[in-house]
Amino acid sequence: MTTPVAKSTLLSIRDLKVHFDLGGGGPLDKLIGTHPVKRVVKAVDGVSLDIYERETLGLVGESGCGKSTLGRAILRLIEPTDGQVFYRDRDLAHLSARQLREQRRHLQIIFQDPYASLNPRMTVGQIVGEPLATFGLARGREAEQRVQELLETVGLSKRFIKRYPHEFSGGQRQRIGIARALAVDPDFIVADEPISALDVSIQAQIMNLLERLRREKNLTYLFISHDLRAIRHVSDRVAVMYLGKLVEIADAKTIYHEPLMPYTKALISAVPVPDPQVEATRQRIMLEGDVPSPINPPSGCRFHTRCPYAIEACREVVPQLVEIKPAHFAACIRISPAEPHIENVPPGAAPGLDDSHHKAAQKAQNS
Amino acid sequence: MTTADGNLLEVRNLRTYFDTEDGIVKAVDDISFQLKRGETLGIVGESGSGKSVTNLSIIRLIPNPPGKIVSGEVIFNGSDLLLLRNEEIRKVRGRRIAMIFQDPMTSLNPFMKISRQLMEMTELHLGHTRAQAYDHAIRMLETVGIPDARSRADSYPHEFSGGMRQRVMIAMALSCQPELLIADEPTTALDVTIQAQILELIKTLKRETGTSVILITHDLGVVAGMTDHVIVMYAGKIFEQARTPELFSRPGNPYTKGLLRSVPDPTAEQGKLYQIPGQPPDVAHLKPGCPFAPRCDHVQEICHHEFPPFVKLGADHYSLCHFAREVYSESGNPQISV
Repeated sequence: MTTPVAKSTLLSIRDLKVHFDLGGGGPLDKLIGTHPVKRVVKAVDGVSLDIYERETLGLVGESGCGKSTLGRAILRLIEPTDGQVFYRDRDLAHLSARQLREQRRHLQIIFQDPYASLNPRMTVGQIVGEPLATFGLARGREAEQRVQELLETVGLSKRFIKRYPHEFSGGQRQRIGIARALAVDPDFIVADEPISALDVSIQAQIMNLLERLRREKNLTYLFISHDLRAIRHVSDRVAVMYLGKLVEIADAKTIYHEPLMPYTKALISAVPVPDPQVEATRQRIMLEGDVPSPINPPSGCRFHTRCPYAIEACREVVPQLVEIKPAHFAACIRISPAEPHIENVPPGAAPGLDDSHHKAAQKAQNS
Repeated sequence: MTTADGNLLEVRNLRTYFDTEDGIVKAVDDISFQLKRGETLGIVGESGSGKSVTNLSIIRLIPNPPGKIVSGEVIFNGSDLLLLRNEEIRKVRGRRIAMIFQDPMTSLNPFMKISRQLMEMTELHLGHTRAQAYDHAIRMLETVGIPDARSRADSYPHEFSGGMRQRVMIAMALSCQPELLIADEPTTALDVTIQAQILELIKTLKRETGTSVILITHDLGVVAGMTDHVIVMYAGKIFEQARTPELFSRPGNPYTKGLLRSVPDPTAEQGKLYQIPGQPPDVAHLKPGCPFAPRCDHVQEICHHEFPPFVKLGADHYSLCHFAREVYSESGNPQISV
């Protein structure tokens, strides 16, 4: 199978896992009987993903699917349990604390909650200037000038430098957070739900600001959101996550107009469209029930409990991400490059179970 | 009893002010609207626009002090709720007007079984015995699609997921067959697939029971799919009101227009997103003139010192703007609306 190699890869994530051990399963637990089985939250469970230079990769999924954990594990704000994150030929997941600190300069994060992510006792100047001091990039007069520039870059007045976070609105605080991330001239920014806490009119401002900065500063984003409309707007490619696994990756337009996975289809059909005529006529794919708990999630394909197309084999086989169409990956044993549309697959058929196909899948994952 | 014009609810010149350290905040300032029986009214606005205060005023749940309903009338089924004594309004709340809130976790009592919380409603309002109330509670939980309702009724709220808790809230709200259901951001805290389930449930129940609904939301997509009429609020004022299809196809207010254009449309080609510049105003320190003037792309000299008129643009279509007619005719003619 050919993969487009025209774009150069900035970050390569290989089989990344983040498991949280909740205890249980010990001799005492068995005796008391509270949690006789060991409980592990597999928040991120074997994710492999390439992020290309200067792209915005959207990461979408429902709450508890592990998208924020993945974003943080890449930067090692949460320690990965297993796997690699390659950046400039180094494996971030296995760097020493000191080596990691040097790399952090190039990898930054913007948080969801602009109220909780700024120290209320520091002025804007101190907040935005701190990374400069930490990495020894500028001091004194020079640092102050740099902070002023940064504030203007994100659309804030440089008069704000002596003010405190509580004096600002949510949208302005998010701009301060962005200025802080930009202070060290990073290559890569994880934007973790950067617009979810903001009003509609402010969301548009922040999306446009991030887009402008990406062009001007050649940035690469991992844009994490549960908002499919925003994801579709800002992203070049979109990765869909469900209970710790990536289930589909394709470019943003394709994922919206020709999704392959039953889960992605349901997710997209659930998004309300701001047009009464469309809303009156469209058919929604309703998913039954809730997202299962990530503690001991369903076996096999994790979506099989809610999937209208699930067959017996889906309970047992963990589907691999396979390139079903060019540059369009999906993890479902029931579809194949020969018949990518699950509606047309004969009942009970599972071409993805075919052995040769399986090997191709593994190869694609490891390459 | 219904008023002659078929209105279930009529709000006239409602003003709700809050006395704060920062001065008087006019959270809701002279708004009027009607809701016809069986219809759904959407109230859209950003945080601080007054949409929640409007609805808390209707059922008189404004904390006093600091809040106070300064003036106005809330005519529900022909009588003014603002004139009722406290015991009387308590008989309306929950019985005839029910409310569901954004966060189903903080609106359920964590120490009480689900069944008990539902039973309270009908024991109090409908005079049910314990046994009747229990049966009714199970029936309501089944109606809102809680699987295995009989065995789950005696669970506590923390044993339910967010979507299930919101179903419980809806079961509770509808258990006395209210004439009006006020839903304040009922799906904002939920995932999109769960949001679709809850919205569908509200639609179905509304069809079956004929309950009128006021739906407060910031999501224009939700409004498009759920409502018959829309009110757009900004800085405590109604900026525009219209029938839903008309508001989306032919907005008559620059703020509404800006809002509609700043939501990414996933079905369309992607360009630069329109953005309304600036910040929502500080309602405690409003300048004279139009509160939207500093952010408006149609702004003229007059907007800065004269408060705009509420212009009638068509049947049921009003806009608060000096240039409402111009904006309206631009919207009707897409060639020049760019």
